[in-house]
Formats: sequence, structure tokens, C-alpha cells
Amino acid sequence: MPSRVDRRHTTWHVHLVLVVGALVMVAPLAWEFLTSVKSFGESVRVPPTILPETWDWSNYGKVFEAVPFGEQFLNTVLMTAGRTAGQLLMCSMAAYAFARLRFPGRDAFFLLFLSVLMVPSQLFLIPQYQIMQELGWLNSLPALIVPGMFSAFGTFLLRQFFLSLPKDLEEAAALDGANPLRIYWHVMLPLARPGLVALGILTVLWSWNDLLWPLVANNDPEKMTLSAGLATLKGEHLTDYPVLMAGSLLATLPVIAVFVVMQRRVLEGIAFTGTKG
Amino acid sequence: MTAVADQSVAAEVPAATGRPARKRRPTTVAGRWEWLWGLAFIAPTGLGLLVFYIWPVFQTLYYSFTEWGAFGGHVWVGTENYVKLLGDPEVLKALKNTLVYSGLVLLGVPVSLVLAALINTPGLRGAAVYRVLYFLPVVTMPAAVGMVWRWLYNGDLGLVNHVLSLIGISGQHWVADPRFALYATAVVGVWMTVGYNMVIFAAGLNGIPRDYYEAAELDGAGRIRQFFSITLPMLSPTAFFITVLTSIGALQVFDVIYLMLGTNSSALRNPAIDENKTIVFLFYERAFIDNDKGYAAAIAFVLLLVILVLTVIQFRAQKRWVHYA
Amino acid sequence: MNNRWWKVALAATVVLGASACGGAASSDGPVTITYAVWDKEQVPAMEKIAAEFEKAHSNVDVKVQLTSNKEYWTKLQTAVTGGSAPDVFWMNGPRFQLYASQGVLLPLDEQIDAAKVDTGAFPEALVDLYTYQGKKYGLPKDFDTIGLWYNKTLFDAAGVGYPDANWTWDDLREAARKLTDPAKGQYGIAAAADSQANYYNTIFQAGGSVISADGKKSGFDDPATVEGLRFWVDLINKDKVSPTIQQMSDTEPAQMFSSGKVAMYYGGSWEAVGFAKNADLTGKVDVAPLPKGKKEAVVIHGLSNVAYAKSKHPEEAARFAVFAGSPEAQRIQAETGAVISAYQGTQDAWLKATPQYRLQAFLDQVPDSVPLPHSKNTAAWTKKAEELLLKAWSGEQDVTEVAKTLAEAVNTELGNEK
Repeated sequence: MPSRVDRRHTTWHVHLVLVVGALVMVAPLAWEFLTSVKSFGESVRVPPTILPETWDWSNYGKVFEAVPFGEQFLNTVLMTAGRTAGQLLMCSMAAYAFARLRFPGRDAFFLLFLSVLMVPSQLFLIPQYQIMQELGWLNSLPALIVPGMFSAFGTFLLRQFFLSLPKDLEEAAALDGANPLRIYWHVMLPLARPGLVALGILTVLWSWNDLLWPLVANNDPEKMTLSAGLATLKGEHLTDYPVLMAGSLLATLPVIAVFVVMQRRVLEGIAFTGTKG
Repeated sequence: MTAVADQSVAAEVPAATGRPARKRRPTTVAGRWEWLWGLAFIAPTGLGLLVFYIWPVFQTLYYSFTEWGAFGGHVWVGTENYVKLLGDPEVLKALKNTLVYSGLVLLGVPVSLVLAALINTPGLRGAAVYRVLYFLPVVTMPAAVGMVWRWLYNGDLGLVNHVLSLIGISGQHWVADPRFALYATAVVGVWMTVGYNMVIFAAGLNGIPRDYYEAAELDGAGRIRQFFSITLPMLSPTAFFITVLTSIGALQVFDVIYLMLGTNSSALRNPAIDENKTIVFLFYERAFIDNDKGYAAAIAFVLLLVILVLTVIQFRAQKRWVHYA
Repeated sequence: MNNRWWKVALAATVVLGASACGGAASSDGPVTITYAVWDKEQVPAMEKIAAEFEKAHSNVDVKVQLTSNKEYWTKLQTAVTGGSAPDVFWMNGPRFQLYASQGVLLPLDEQIDAAKVDTGAFPEALVDLYTYQGKKYGLPKDFDTIGLWYNKTLFDAAGVGYPDANWTWDDLREAARKLTDPAKGQYGIAAAADSQANYYNTIFQAGGSVISADGKKSGFDDPATVEGLRFWVDLINKDKVSPTIQQMSDTEPAQMFSSGKVAMYYGGSWEAVGFAKNADLTGKVDVAPLPKGKKEAVVIHGLSNVAYAKSKHPEEAARFAVFAGSPEAQRIQAETGAVISAYQGTQDAWLKATPQYRLQAFLDQVPDSVPLPHSKNTAAWTKKAEELLLKAWSGEQDVTEVAKTLAEAVNTELGNEK
């Protein structure tokens, strides 16, 4: 089998390229961690030390002094959970209707949904802010959650998924006299799990990392998200890089941890959006 | 990855073979109230989109014809904002910067394709580990990314210049020098998107039937030729999808610019910012710092126009290079 | 649009009326007042003042809200636009007139009289700073001047004598030259393009002006002003005794100073408490009056506490804003060492809070002090200065040329104010 020998041969080169690339991907994050455990004095040394001389974990404590990290963490979790739950429920409902039900104006409505996809989010920002203001929701959790619960993209993604599902089960259920709500809930949602997981992953990522809207909507540090909180941390008088790096790492770590634990699911979900979207 | 492959097969089945035996009567599934169910199902998202997305577009359109006072209140000024905008060097500069940035970030697309092809090498050990490592920047919060890279790029103390000095290159103040700042941020833009695009390319590669390659191998085609004669054409729809998505994302860049080039904490202006603002950064500044929301609204519409035009061009151009099997 | 205003005004009247009526009934109910500040170092003092106020007003809960200096004004303006600003907040001179003229602030005259605060006990210039069309909108909170902070360790190592009250620009330049060591990445001074801490002082010392006394014309193109600007530009580009603006954008001057990369640093009196807390600087730094140019001058500025006109609890807000200017509150503030309190006789407490520094330097300069330049819409033209002066600081364009362009831009902005 000459081709097999060939492959062995090439694998070595492949690994070389991939390892170099992986270094580029990981080095900034590794440097972030290493800086976060250096003392301020050591962090500004030229040339820099690679490993800290003394491991200084106090920078993590300083993050908690500088910003209400606990509150911001909770806000981010609640915002992410609220947006994700809302999107999964409401987008799947709309997607099911667009994929399976017939009603007047369906195509027109669908087109309208799609058109929202084309518009950059900056076009919504000012009026969204004013709506929040008029509802008295600025500086509150609903401001962070509510606008993000509705998604044209999510509807589109799940519709494509529903279209790909076989119809036998729902037709059988319909013959048993089930109404669309029962079919949606008991038949379609279980079948749509991979699609829901994919949308869920994307929504979690997008919500956790969102900066512009939280920055605009909530200015009370205790009502901010981690992302906006980080931007504020940077605004403190003395830019202390070890503390900034500790804060960045703390803010990112939850998502990275979830990703590493669920990596197969996440990567499949992302790939899914690529092939279906 | 297998699940994805299964789904794409599933997608083909009903459309291709269908079930010609069963007559399709529209009312079987939902009965005669189907239309009501349909409307009820789309109502929550529909109303939400209407209130928070569709209506705001028109509101913003209206604002783009108004001028704002320091603490709210606005007056109709007709097309004044647009006229001013056409002759505003700052807007033109931001437009140019945005296009340059997006173009540079798009250079990452072929890189991610090559990486995907490498990672899909049959029998490659540790492919899963590579995938995770390359994907880490994608899941990292952009605000954190911006801060970390600002530190890496620090002219005197940063790791980048330290590494360069080891190979005898004296580095620059990458994010404080107007000449380099945009390129430096574009590198970060690539760094953040390569993993995502790689995963999607890899899925696309998995979707290419094995027997194509086997047939090519029988014909004596090498791996390189196989790549160009089979992989590339078969992957072109994926490449198109990625190109459109990456460029739309890049055109709206804000987070990394805001954190890497924005004003630092002691309110000292970064000397690089004025030459390197992007459209969305300019929008944010006008809307939420200068409180010039009318002008900001007009800028937002320029962005919409740019995105629409570029997307239409990409859709037109795809006929030349995208190969649908 | 007029129509809209009517409705808003009407609604506001109704709401205010209703809350005023309701106020009497629920005056014992708990009331929460937010108090927005931007300096982290002062939060403990502000919280102590809040606690003191709560002792006397058991139904009121004052919540101190910290926003970083960088975002403070953006957020405040947005909040005011949205009708949801904090009840009491810090105000500075450059922004005051814009807020007062738009009816954002509550006049405090009644409350000041009721609390029997003696406004004569504050520096007159500061009381005037926060008076608009005859009404007082805020009692002075504190004041600050600029001093020359220096690193004694670096001076000793270079064998240079410490700065004193007799220093001139030339002395500074000479010392900076001796303190610069490119091999070590060490510089004599940080010549950032900072207005209040740096170039305003030298502009006044050179006999120049920023804007004219009547606030109608820019003084940036005055040759004396240009000289005050050139002082800093030369330190970077000619004498090369300061890091470049690119270096100072990557690593801030204050950070370079605390890590011993910069030997001298023009910094406000508000820096004392931060330096004292910084372990890297213990025993290493001190402060002297600014070196003089043609004459002695320093920028003086002070904040005040103002109340929000649309506060849901205007009475409590006004009462607290006035309380924060009372002698008790001013003493609490001075004792933490964070800032120099404005009330007469409380300055000693500030000096004693961080006795390791010769803080008297800041007070000694007061007789020669010049108020921080301001007009009705200060931010509009300071933004131009910020943008344009960078071109001079980077060495890209000559100072004279930049100053001329800047003066025109500032004149345009000043013309828009009416």
C-alpha cells in the first residue's frame, strides 16, 4: 500500500504546520494567564520574564475590589440564560410554523423576518435604547435580556432544520387528533434537538460576549455585564496589566470551560450552522 | 461530525424520494384552524422583531433627518446630515478603514481552508485537540481579546516585540502608531475568526463523498491535484457562505477597535485612533459620546448601504466561481 | 417637535406634582438616593459622608455609584437625555454651564440658606464657578492644583538635586536630560498631551491664554500660548527626555512613573493618596511646586456636588448635595487625604493624611493659580484641542501651525455656543 506510507510521511509536515498555528492561537491566552499571576513590577520588566518569579494571585482579588465582579457575573449568566431560553422557545415556534403550517401571508412574513437578518445591528441601537428608556428598563436586567430574545437568524436556522425532518411522525400524531401545539411540543421539539443545541450554543456565545448593547443600556456597574465591566476596569486610573489580565481571564473562563467540556457538541453545532444556514 | 453528515443526508431524503403514496392534503396536520395556529406560532418572535428591530429601522431612518440637542429633543433638518456626510473626511476615512480591515480579515479565509484540509488529513492523530485549540479564540470574549492583544502589542513591554527582538527585528508601537494600528487589529480579526471558519470548512470537507477521491486516485491524481480538482469546487458553496458571513461581520467591527485603539484610562487620546476609526466606531462615538444621534443614524445607513452593495456583488460574483453540485 | 415638548413638559408637571403631593404622605418611607462619582480613591470618603447623612436622615439611603472617569460624562449625558440621571452627582467646571443652562440641575439656594452654610468660607472663584444666572447650583466640593511629582530614587542615582520652589523650565529640562537613560528605557519626564496636568500650566506660565476672558475667542494662536505648548513638544522631540506619545499611549504616564521608568510627572493633588497606597513607590516619591516660566502659574479647579432637577426625591437630593459641602462632610473628605476640601480650615486635615509628601506645595501655589478654562460648551472645543494637538506632539506638524488651525477650530465652536 504505497499511499499509506505516503500519508505517514505527510503527517509529519501536517503536524508541524498545525502545531505552529496552534501556538499562535494559544500563546496570547497563555500570556494573558502568565501576566495575571505576575506582580505589577515584574509585568513591566524589559525584557519580560516568561514564567513569574513569584506567583502573585492577589491580582484576582484586586479584580473583585475594582468592579462588582460577582454581580456582573450573575448579570451575564442571567442575560445569557434569558436570551437563550427565549430564543429557543420563540424561534422554534415560529420556525415550526414557517416550515410546516400554512397560513395567509406566510411567505411575506418570512421575507420580513429574513430582511431583519440583512440589517446591521447599529440601525436598531438608538431606538432600542429609547424604548428601554421609556419603559424605565435602563440599568436593569430586562434591558439586557428582552431585545435579545427575538431572533430572525434563529428562526431561519431552525426553519431550515425543520424542513429537513421527515413528516411521518407528525402526520401520525395528527391522525391521532393532536393539535399543532401538541405536535410542536411532543413531536417536533424532540426531533429538533440537534438544531436547538446549535442555536443554543450560538446564542450563549453571542450573549456572553456581547459588548455594544450592554455598554449602552446599563451604566450602573452593578447592573453591567462582564464584557462592559471589563471595558470599565480598563478605565480605572492606573492601567495595571496584571489586574486587567486577571479580569479578562475570569470573564472568559466560564465560556471556555463550557466549551472544553462540551467541545464535541459545540463544534458539531457550529459546523451544522455552516452547512444548513 | 458524523451527526452533521447524517443530517445533510436526511435533508436530501424527503425532497428527493418523498412519499408519493400519501396524498398531501393541506388540512391534515392542523385542521381548519391551521392559519390561526400559524399566526399564533409566529406572533411572539414576530411582535418582538417588529418592536425591537423592524420599527427601529424606520425610527433610525427618521432620525437620520434630524438634529439632536445636548440632552435630547430633535428637529427635522431634511437631508442636511447626508449632505454633510458626503463631504466629511472623517466618514470617508472610516469607510476606507472599514473596507481595508474587512479585506485583510478575508485573507484569513484561505488560511482557514488550508487548516481545515490539514486537520481533516485521514488518520491524523490529535485532530480533536487541534480543533479545540484553534477554536479557543472564537469563544473568547472580544472585550478580553482586545485587552489581551493591546498588552501583547505594547511597544515597550509587549510579548510581540519581545519575540521579534529575539529574531533581530525591532518592533513598533503597533496599536499607537497610525501607520500600523489598522493592520494590527486586522491580525486580531483573523485570529478570532480562523477557528470558526476552519470548523465549517472541515464539515464541508466531510460532506465530499470519499469515492470522488478514490476515483481520482485510480486516475493517478496526487493530493495536490485532488485538492484543486475535487476539494475546491465541491467546497465552493461553503467558501461562499464563509466569505459572505466573514465580510458582514468584519464590516461591523467595533469591540476590538474600541478596546485596542480607544482612549486609554487617563483620558489620553491614542495617537492612532483618528486615522483608524471604523464606521461602527464612528457611529458609536457620534451616537453615544457626542450625542449627535441624527448624524449617527445617517452613518448607520451608510453602513447598511455598504453591506448591501457588497453582498449583492458577492452574490453576483458567485456565479463565476461557486460550483453547486 | 414643539408639540412633543409640550407633552413631555405636561407629563413632567403632572408627575412632579403627583410626587410632591405624595411626598408629604410618604416622607417617612425609605428613600434611595444615588450619588454618582468617578474617582475610586474617593469612594471611601463619599461613603462615610453618605453614612453621616443617613444618621441624621434615617429614612434616606444614599448609594454611591462609581463610574470610571473615562465614561462618566458620556453615561451622565445619556442618562440625563433619558431622564434617569443619578439624584446627586459630581460636576466639574468645564461641564457645569451646559448642564445648568439646559435646566438639568436643581438650584440649591434655598437648601443652602436652610442649612445655614456659610458660602464665604469657600474660595470665591469656586463658588462663582457653580453659579449660573445668579443661582447657586452646587457648593464647592474640593479643589486641586498641579505639582511636580518626582522619583527621589532616580534623582539620587543620577546625582541630581531635588526640584524646589525656585526651579525654572530650564532647570527642569536640564534635570530631565540627566535623568534620561535610553539604555534602561528611563526618561526624565512624561510630556503627555494632557491639558489640565500639563500644557494649560505652561501656557499660563508663558503668559498665554486658552480662551479669552469673555469666552468668545481662542488664545491658542497667541505666540505666548504656542511657547507654552512647545515646551512639552520639545521635551519629546528635541530634547528626547520624554517617552513619545505612542509610548505613553501604550503605557500611561502614571504607570511609567510608578514603575520607575519616568523620573518626573506633573500630577494633581488628587494623586497623593494613590501614590501612598502604591507599594512600589513607598519612600521613593515626593512633590514640589511647578517650575516657573516667565511667571508662576498653576491651574486650579474644583468639583461640586449638584442635584438632578428631575430627581424623584428632589428635596432629599438637594439636602444631600448641600450636606456634602458642609464643614462636617468637608472634614471627613479631607481626612482621607483624597482631595483638598474646599471649606476654609479643612485643608490641614488633608496635609496630615499623607504626611510623607510635602503637600504644602499644592497649597503654596494657590495665590498664583488660574481657573481651569471653561465656556458654555467646553467639551466641544477641548475635543478639537485633544485631536489636533496630537499632530504637534507627534512631531508631524510644527506647533505654530497646529496652534493656528486649532485656534480657528476653537473659534468656530465658541461661535456655535450662542
